[in-house]
Amino acid sequence: MNRRQRLAASAAAIALTLACGPAAAETLKIALNADIRSLDPGVNRDANSDAVVLHMVEGLVAYGEDASVKPLLAKEVAVSDDDLTYTFTLRDGVKFHNGNVLTSADVVWNWNRYMDEATKWRCRNDFAEGGAAHVVSVTAPDDKTVVFKLEKPNALFQATLARTDCGMTGILDKSSFNADGSFNVPVGTGPFRYKEWRKGEFIDLEAFADYAVRSEEKRDGYTGAKRPLVEAVRFAVIPDRSSAKAALLNGDIDIVPDVPYADVEEFKQNADTAVSLATNPGIVALLLQTRDPLLKDMRIRKAIAMALDTKSMVEGITLGLGKANNSLIPPTSKYHSPAQTQGYSYDPEAAKALLREAGYNGQPIKLIANTRYSNTYDAAIVAQAMLQQVGITAELEVLEWAAQLDRYQSGNYTAMVFPYSGRYDPALTMDSVMGNKDKEPRKVWDDPDAQAMLADAVRYSDPAKRQEIFDKLHARFLETVPFIMLYNGLEASAYQKHVQNYAASIFSMPRAWEVTIAE
Amino acid sequence: MLRFILSRIGMAVPTVFLVAVVVFFLIRLVPGDPAALLLGDMASPESVAALRSDLGLDKNILTQFAIWLTNVFQGDLGTSITTKEPVAHLVIERFKVSAGIVLVAVALASLAAVPAGFIAALRQNSKLDLTLVSVAALLLSIPTFWLGLVILLIFGLKLGWLPVVGYVSVAEDPSRGLLYVLMPILTLFLHEIGVLLRMARASALEVLRLDYITHARAKGLPERTVLWRHVFPNAFAPTLTLIGLVLGNMLGGIAVVETVFTIPGLGRLLVDAIFGRDYPVIQGCLLFIAVIYVLVNLIVDLCYPLFDPRVKIT
Repeated sequence: MNRRQRLAASAAAIALTLACGPAAAETLKIALNADIRSLDPGVNRDANSDAVVLHMVEGLVAYGEDASVKPLLAKEVAVSDDDLTYTFTLRDGVKFHNGNVLTSADVVWNWNRYMDEATKWRCRNDFAEGGAAHVVSVTAPDDKTVVFKLEKPNALFQATLARTDCGMTGILDKSSFNADGSFNVPVGTGPFRYKEWRKGEFIDLEAFADYAVRSEEKRDGYTGAKRPLVEAVRFAVIPDRSSAKAALLNGDIDIVPDVPYADVEEFKQNADTAVSLATNPGIVALLLQTRDPLLKDMRIRKAIAMALDTKSMVEGITLGLGKANNSLIPPTSKYHSPAQTQGYSYDPEAAKALLREAGYNGQPIKLIANTRYSNTYDAAIVAQAMLQQVGITAELEVLEWAAQLDRYQSGNYTAMVFPYSGRYDPALTMDSVMGNKDKEPRKVWDDPDAQAMLADAVRYSDPAKRQEIFDKLHARFLETVPFIMLYNGLEASAYQKHVQNYAASIFSMPRAWEVTIAE
Repeated sequence: MLRFILSRIGMAVPTVFLVAVVVFFLIRLVPGDPAALLLGDMASPESVAALRSDLGLDKNILTQFAIWLTNVFQGDLGTSITTKEPVAHLVIERFKVSAGIVLVAVALASLAAVPAGFIAALRQNSKLDLTLVSVAALLLSIPTFWLGLVILLIFGLKLGWLPVVGYVSVAEDPSRGLLYVLMPILTLFLHEIGVLLRMARASALEVLRLDYITHARAKGLPERTVLWRHVFPNAFAPTLTLIGLVLGNMLGGIAVVETVFTIPGLGRLLVDAIFGRDYPVIQGCLLFIAVIYVLVNLIVDLCYPLFDPRVKIT
């Protein structure tokens, strides 16, 4: 019995069709596993908030599908020879959702708002005095031109502007704010505009008819073709994974962006659903506290790396969908050179020999894991078993996520499996793990020499030069084992087959533009 | 009567205060920093410290408690750390959703379970009794999240009669709203029926054994009168107490059912707040739940004289 027949079969079902309303066919319904925090770009946010807000708000530049930074609201970006002046030329005819035309004055006004401490913009410190990309001035010589001047060269200036957790440094119309200057709702330039947010239930967006599309060719990350091809989008909050699955199978939901790996095969086999997979730059790592009396011995850390068959581990926990990666640079990055494919050598015998040499005799190592991110918990279980094989006693300590984050921030642990959220430039990823443990206990790679190399990768924008630095850093990472890189995040999105042109991406956030619903 | 109510409310004040103290300090003893959680894994120590100071979390814990308590007495439960909404508004809005579902489910469960329990008691050891008791035991032992998922599977997926996810307020659109709450109500109804049926049966059995029932029968009263005049009022009181407890319990926490059926209720608000270490929301929710518990039990106490003439409220 197909769905239509079933609908005809009962009175309750007829009521249901009434319930869905006539416009239901043009609404793309996307599940969110939790409600968003706010609609204020880059201020009070998490990944779900970014996913929703970036349908409405756009910045000067954005990440493309391969994580390189490309113009979005800007037509082009000119960089001066001394790498200190960035001149953004705005595209013509870009309109805000209320019909106002975007001008350079809007960009300057937004920049000043973001840099005002009272805004509490997440990325302010990166651009403020003392920040890596200190912006000394922003001016608008004419209606279509904005000039940013930096204090010192920084290859990551545009990459930071484009960061999704910074809200893409999105440009908002002044009508986004209340009279007292507080944020109301986003009036941006994105393909969809705000309609309604019922807390704990859903966020409704509608297509923006006057959207100025950058290119009609193809979708490219957060830039390229971004046409709103459905009338409306509903992000429905469904915290329970089983309920989300039932809703997808039932047809109440069109897209579930993150389904458990165990369900992938079922959705592939189902005649009505399909699956899209994408690796993201988020890293899942086995962190080792190098200040621990036991683990400060590099031989023991090396032995741990040798004891772990990361290839089978990752195949096992992702049910064959994912691949191990021992480099901090994800395989999707243009910087993932052949040198980056070098990994730890799995050698239990050598591991045992190293342990003997280091005088290890069964002292227990506490391994922290959480069940919120179930794959990282699986990784911890597998690691425990593999370590046992070479005679390392790993004791699992399962914590709730907030408690684990606390231990991570304070550096108070021996070992833990920890998932990092994604950064799209390798230097940004490395910067998030590298640092002095005395100053920042959360940092996990405390190595002044490596830090100096990274500083060069931030300073130079020449790709060849950066590649050379990243390759050197990777060799050093394998050599000194500050921690163990296991794999990159892998997102499995399931969707109804009548949804056309949907794809998971390295951003691990659902995108509704360029997506259509077939009759 | 009024004096009784006032004294009961007076007695509840220390209870609620104790809840406030315990909740405030316990949640801060739990590891996990709201500021670090809000900012995520890549936040710098400076930005975490700045946010902590914004949220007032850098102040001395006793000062924080004093500020919170003063505000509570002025009717201000604070604002949520994660969503910046006023806690009182959040709690009331979410409570309305949960309360509607819980009240209907408990009322229906009582209407079904009490007569069924009495019938089972009257026919003790018959096949009917055995069936009712077994069904009650079965329903009682099934965890609600599983029961909820099975109901979702049957009515939402296999039969396709009811929407699987979403929520529409009954107040806004009664016919559509009803569709979304049917499954959660059924889940709670089935679960509570097991609890209440056993209680009703046990109390009825106890009363049936008493001398005055034998006496009533011996003096020739019709069985119907015996049951309505003598068995029911005496046997109902313990069940009523239990209904009160069940109600108080469920009004504060049907988080599991709310999660399975995507109902934006109080239970889910509380659970999300705990995971997010949203202190003001946790405190507000638990304080509110404590007050509800006290009020429900007060109402139950006030209902006793209606059923049991031996109880007098003075």
